[in-house]
Amino acid sequence: MRKYVPVALLVLTAYIVFSGSVSPYDVVLGSLVAAGVSLITSKYVVRDASKAVSLRRFLHLVKYAFYYLTIAEFRAHRMVIGIILSKAMVVNPAIVRVPYRARNEYTIVACANSITNTPGTVVVDIDQEKSQYYVHWIYATGLDRETAYREILEEFEKRLAKVFE
Amino acid sequence: MRKYLVLASIVLTTAVVAYVTTYLGALGPLGLDTRYLAKLFLANTYNPAHRELTAMSPEAVTSIVWDFRGIDTLYETVVFYMAIIAALAIYRGVSYSNVRRGSGLSLIVKVVTKLLIPINIAVAVSIAAHGHLTPGGGFQAGAALAVVSVLLAVVYSAHSFVELGVNLSRAVALRSAGLLAIALVVFTPIVISALTGTQAYLMQNYVKVDSAFSFPAHVQSQLISGTLIWFNLAEFLAVSFGFFIIFMLLSLREEVVREWVGKEDEH
Repeated sequence: MRKYVPVALLVLTAYIVFSGSVSPYDVVLGSLVAAGVSLITSKYVVRDASKAVSLRRFLHLVKYAFYYLTIAEFRAHRMVIGIILSKAMVVNPAIVRVPYRARNEYTIVACANSITNTPGTVVVDIDQEKSQYYVHWIYATGLDRETAYREILEEFEKRLAKVFE
Repeated sequence: MRKYLVLASIVLTTAVVAYVTTYLGALGPLGLDTRYLAKLFLANTYNPAHRELTAMSPEAVTSIVWDFRGIDTLYETVVFYMAIIAALAIYRGVSYSNVRRGSGLSLIVKVVTKLLIPINIAVAVSIAAHGHLTPGGGFQAGAALAVVSVLLAVVYSAHSFVELGVNLSRAVALRSAGLLAIALVVFTPIVISALTGTQAYLMQNYVKVDSAFSFPAHVQSQLISGTLIWFNLAEFLAVSFGFFIIFMLLSLREEVVREWVGKEDEH
């Protein structure tokens, strides 16, 4: 039963936000859609029901969202704006291998998207067998895997592990 | 220097085109008849004071599409239905059992898609269920839901249809259910008319000058706009699974299709 809750909440929220209304018609129809969709799709979306309904993990997710949208994005933007505004336009582009330690697919994908959505770094490919991303880095401070991990991924992975691992 | 020339020519062209089409009236006089028609539609699309003329829906496009020119939309639906029958006829006998399991796209795309599909379904239902209130409707909602089939084929490979138990027969059955529901709404006034011996018309929504038949415009206090909500929901089902069929067929590899078409040629 617990595994249906997160998908149902996701669908109900999407329905209400998209409809822009909390009339009884929308709440009832949205709930019916949420129940139906979660019955069909939960087995593909939720692997571990206890993680999916954990309040502690949810709070870590909120904390991560706050960190990401403020601190991480600010740092990345500051760096790229600095490059754009500098007269010399000093860049050191490279595609580097960034090893990841995460095992849960949601952690792996959330880390990849966090890297891509911060300016200056883009995940261009993923090698699941070798557990590494290939990241285009606009100002590579080192080409070795450890430097790349420390500079690009470590902070994201450490925080997201508390949510998904 | 060159970029300033390009910029200046863009600004100049925009200014000339704007001046010629507005102040110089290069497009000719605006069609006054069209304006009259537009006023008529806007005055009657939601007008409880004129129940014999109104569609009781604030959404003018849906009012026109499913009420004021409802028969036209009905025939459009039939054309779409026939097009899908033609596609099924061309691909007749083609089986998904021969489809190889593809590797699909990367884990990143697969996981994001997995989360997007439930949201996609919610959005599609919302577009259909609000078609009589806000822009959208059955066709748009159907197109939105059909995106799921494209996502499955592109992101997970066409073999995912087999794994999920989505097959052509089920899609055809669901699309037919949508079409039957449309037919039910179309013929309900006629059936009631035959049973009660009163006057009613095909696709009639509300009372007419010589007919008392009317679909309910409200349920409790919620506006459902008579036939409009039912047409939108039924069209949603018919269009989404119509597109599902098309995209499922298009996602088959050419050699799989040729194998079956070739078999038929041998006989």
